[in-house]
Formats: sequence, structure tokens, C-alpha cells
Amino acid sequence: MPYFTDKQTVLEDIFSRYPQTEQGRRSALMPLLREVQNALGYVPEAQMEEISTLIGTTATEVKSVMSFYSTYHTIPTGKWHIQVCATLSCALAGSDALWDDLTETLETVPGEVTPDKLFSVQKVECLGSCGTAPMLQVSDIGYAECVTRKKLHTLLEHLKNGGEFVPDTRVPVFMQGGQQLDALENEVGGRTADLEPLPMPG
Amino acid sequence: MTMTTPRPITSALDARFKPTLYARVGKENSFTLESYRADGGYEAVQRAFALGPDPVIDEMKKSGLRGRGGAGFPTGLKWSFMPLKDGRQHYLICNADESEPGSFKDRYLLTEDPHQLIEGMLIAGFAMRASIGYIYIRGEYVLGAERIDAAIAEARAAGLLGKNVLGSGFDFDLFLHRGAGAYICGEETALMNSLEGLRANPRLKPPFPAASGIYNLPTTINNVESFCAAPHILRYGADWYSSMGTEKSKGNKLFQISGPVARPGVFELPLGATFREIIYDFAGGPLEPIKAIIPGGSSTPMMPWNDAILDTPMDYEAIGAQGSMLGTGGVILIPQDYCIVNATWNLVRFYAHESCGKCTPCREGIGSWMTKIYEKLVRGGGKPGDVELILDMSDNIAGKSFCALADACLGPVVSSIKLFRDEYDYLIANGKSQYGGRSRWAEE
Repeated sequence: MPYFTDKQTVLEDIFSRYPQTEQGRRSALMPLLREVQNALGYVPEAQMEEISTLIGTTATEVKSVMSFYSTYHTIPTGKWHIQVCATLSCALAGSDALWDDLTETLETVPGEVTPDKLFSVQKVECLGSCGTAPMLQVSDIGYAECVTRKKLHTLLEHLKNGGEFVPDTRVPVFMQGGQQLDALENEVGGRTADLEPLPMPG
Repeated sequence: MTMTTPRPITSALDARFKPTLYARVGKENSFTLESYRADGGYEAVQRAFALGPDPVIDEMKKSGLRGRGGAGFPTGLKWSFMPLKDGRQHYLICNADESEPGSFKDRYLLTEDPHQLIEGMLIAGFAMRASIGYIYIRGEYVLGAERIDAAIAEARAAGLLGKNVLGSGFDFDLFLHRGAGAYICGEETALMNSLEGLRANPRLKPPFPAASGIYNLPTTINNVESFCAAPHILRYGADWYSSMGTEKSKGNKLFQISGPVARPGVFELPLGATFREIIYDFAGGPLEPIKAIIPGGSSTPMMPWNDAILDTPMDYEAIGAQGSMLGTGGVILIPQDYCIVNATWNLVRFYAHESCGKCTPCREGIGSWMTKIYEKLVRGGGKPGDVELILDMSDNIAGKSFCALADACLGPVVSSIKLFRDEYDYLIANGKSQYGGRSRWAEE
């Protein structure tokens, strides 16, 4: 069954963000792909065809765009798709060992899904979390940061036991009441609240 | 009576320095409209409305703000490139595709203070007569996307977006577009292709986006941090902004630091603060001996660890004089005991993965040859002459690729050979490095 048949509101919302022109319709491609992938775990060929009709292009074009980006999958993924950052700041914090431990523990490699359909793994490039390295992303949900061996195993057990993934929200910014804290936790500099805004012109 | 110009602010330890971009981080519900308004939010845009579009651009020019995405192009000047009275639809795009390794500053601007960005884009849209804006956020920033989406909805409901914003007669609407994992989308023309639902290959310039950008219409693209600076410049004035920084590098900036330091993170410092200040005063110092500093994201050439570099002010000119670049301000420290060839290979592999495949120097040079030679080296199969081959290839790639991605890869390659040739030679002669290529992973 076509995926979008009973999702007219979703379609309207996506198309409303772009101009009502041929080019504008094409802009909906990435959000439509994400919509399908988040529901199915990957984008099957039938949905490439369906999306191509919606935006007025061919399935080949859709697949061509998909192949450009790391996020889209043409093969099924597990319930939890675990993406480990392998780039320098994470590598300096032990991401190579993290990756080995993850793949050995789950006995899986990229492109596979574990027999219980729970996990798939992918090595990815910098996810913009260098201040909380090493880290990994779980599906399209969020990040686990400052991942130690213990934290990884606790997480895997939790997910195996039917738990939900709760992303980390630690912010490596050290501000207190508008003032920055130095490494010794002393307040340094002044406070923005002390600044006088300019008067309104006119 | 003598007139003295006050000494410019070049240290965050200076009592006169007041952080603004991150001032609200850590406050409860800092991402809500209520919280933003309680701190004087959306007053700067009213000041912009009262001034009129051209004086806003003049104020931005006067402030000395330069693009915070890495290139450092003067923001006010960029804004003035938009054709002002051509009657066409103008677009504004926020580049929130933060993906340069070592950079993670925009992420917290998006999650912790989304209204600051929206106000910055309102000011920019008003100045450039653009009535539609897009925030192109990297696909992996899920929380950022949720917070921005919620903030846009709040702003729309409060009459801060849509028709006749705050009774000014100015119409502006804003939409979020999520990327899907491609570093090249940080390049502005590739980003526009991606937003149009195409493969994200960069476009030929000229025409520049201000003449023909998204949907072939006038477009200006700025980094998240650049937009976020605008409300503060409007609120406190260009003179306040330019009282921070050095002669040609004005204002404050978010610097990031990662690698083996006591407290990695993002710090807001005036331009001209030294590496020593961020590494020791803010990040608490290195946890092990360091041999190299990457000053501003992975594409900026490595610099040696010594007193002269530590005392170098972090501004566009001073880092340039040391042979590197300020870039995104993403500092990465490489420890003494980590094989430099391995560290460089890590980055080469990154650029090879991210090469879009459009042009030959990058696709074949970086995407295939460079990564294969490095892989051979770190696996112990290097031969005499390999380093010369890398340098010869670098010479043939430099300046010859379609966009800056290939040159970005050469930053770490050429600088690591220049600084640590002995490590390359040792690795080639002995089949293994004198240092490790794997870092220890914390148990708990």
C-alpha cells in the first residue's frame, strides 16, 4: 500500500514549507524521505517510486539523491540504528575501541540487522559533539555522549530489555547567571545584564 | 585634556568582557519565548524597524562582524550585496549544517536559545528585504530541530513571524529544513542544491547567491553564530561590538576545544584571546603532553605546541601569520603519544568520505589516491618516496578543485608533514609508528 495515501496532513505540512512551483515541489524530497525512513527504518523501492510521483520526478532521481547522503538507507535497519562517530576528536577519546566493543558485543557488522531485529550499526563521520566525545547516535532520536564501556553496555542491556532510548542533554557550556566560569569555577568577566541597551531611535 | 581610546577587550578574563551569545545558556527554559522576552528579547528587531533597512546594514558594517562559519567574510558587506529594489522574492538561509570536525558551537545556540537566532534572521531579513527564510540544520541535530520548530511556532503565534511583523509592515516567515548527513552541505551553493532536493554538488560561482541563489532568486546565507550576533549589535551598538577584539578582527566569538583537556567545551571569548587562555584558563589544561594544535576545525593547518603559538591571539590575522586559520574556532589538541600519520589519516578519510564526486582533483585525488596512500602508510606498507608523492599530489590538487573541500583536506596533510616529517619517515622505515594509533577508551 502506498505510504502517503492516508497521510494528507503530513503531505500538506511538508509542501507548505516550499514555493508552489516545480522547483518548490522538488524541495520536499528530503523531508518525504525522512518521513518514510523514520516509519519503516529504510526507504523501500516502492516508496522511492511513490515519492517520485509526488514531487514530479523519477524513482532513479530519488535514488540518486538518496545515495548522496549518509542518512538514508535502502536496506532495512534494526529497531535501534546505532551510529558511532569515528572522526578525530572521538578517535582521540577511544572511539575505535568503542566501535570494536559494540560490533563484537552485538556480533554484527554494518549492513546487517541482528537476528532479534533490534540493532544495526554504522560508523559515521563527525556528529558535532566533539566536546562530549566519544559519542554515538541512536536512530533519528538523539545522542549518547561521553560514552564509556560501562555506559555502552548499560545502554545495550536497557534496549535489549525493551527500554526506550533517552538522549543525553548535557551542554558543555559553563555559564552561570550570564557570566562565564573559568576552569576553577570562578566567575570571570562581567554580566550582560549590566550592559545598557541603546535607546530606541525616533 | 587628552583623549585616550580605551584598550580593546581581548580577554574573557577582562572584567569589561560580557558574554552575549551564550549569556542565557543554563537558564531554566532558556529556549522558550517567555524566557527570551523576559531578558529583553525581540527588542533589537524593533530597534531595527525604527532605524530602517539601510541603517541596519550600516550598523552591521560598522561593527566589523565577520562570518563565523569559517571564511570570515564581512557580514555587513555581504548583506549589502542583495539587490535592494528589484521587486523579486529574496531569500535568507541560515547555515546550521555545522559539520566541520572540532566544531560544535552552533548546536547549543540552536538548542538553548533558538529565539536569538530567529530574531537575528528577522533583523537580517528586514535589512535585505527578504520575506522568506530557511534554517538548514544538519540532519543529526534532532533536539536542535525540535527546539527550532517549537520556537518558530511560538513566534508565529505571537505575531513575530508572518504578515506585518509587530505592526512594522514587514512580512517574514521562516521554515526549517533538515539535512541528511553530508559535510559538503556547509558549502553555501551545495546547501542550496540540497534544499532544492538535488544532490548536494556545489554550483559554479558566479553567479553568486545574492544575484541568483535558491530557486534562482537573490539569496544570502549566513552561519548561525553570525545571525545570533545581529540582535546584540543592534541592541548595544556597533561601537560596543568593535570595542572587543583586535584591529581587523572585531567582536566576540564562540571557541570550542576538544581532545585531551580537563574540561572540553564551548567558550565565549573576544577575538584576540590567546590559545593559552582557552586551553588553560577555561579548559583547565591538557591531560597529557600535546604536540599539535588544530586551531579552527579540521581543515585548518596544524600548529606546533610551543610558547609562541600558545601566546598567539586567536584572531583572523594572527593565526594567519602563523600559517593557519581561525576557521570555526574549533580547537583540537593532538597528544604527543598519538601517531600523527594516523591522526591525519583519520581526517583524510573524513574528507574522502565527504567528497561529493563532482570534480576530478577531489574525487580521484582525495577520495581515492590520498586515502589509499594514507591507509597503506598506517598499515605499515609505506615506501620511500611516499611522502614526496603525497606532497606532489597536494601541489596538483591545491587550488584546482571545484570548491574548497579538497583544499580543506590538504590543510592537515601538508602541515602534518611539515611539522612531523620525522614521524612519517620513521613509520615508513620501520613499518610501524613510534606512537600508538589508538586512544584508550574510558571504562566508566
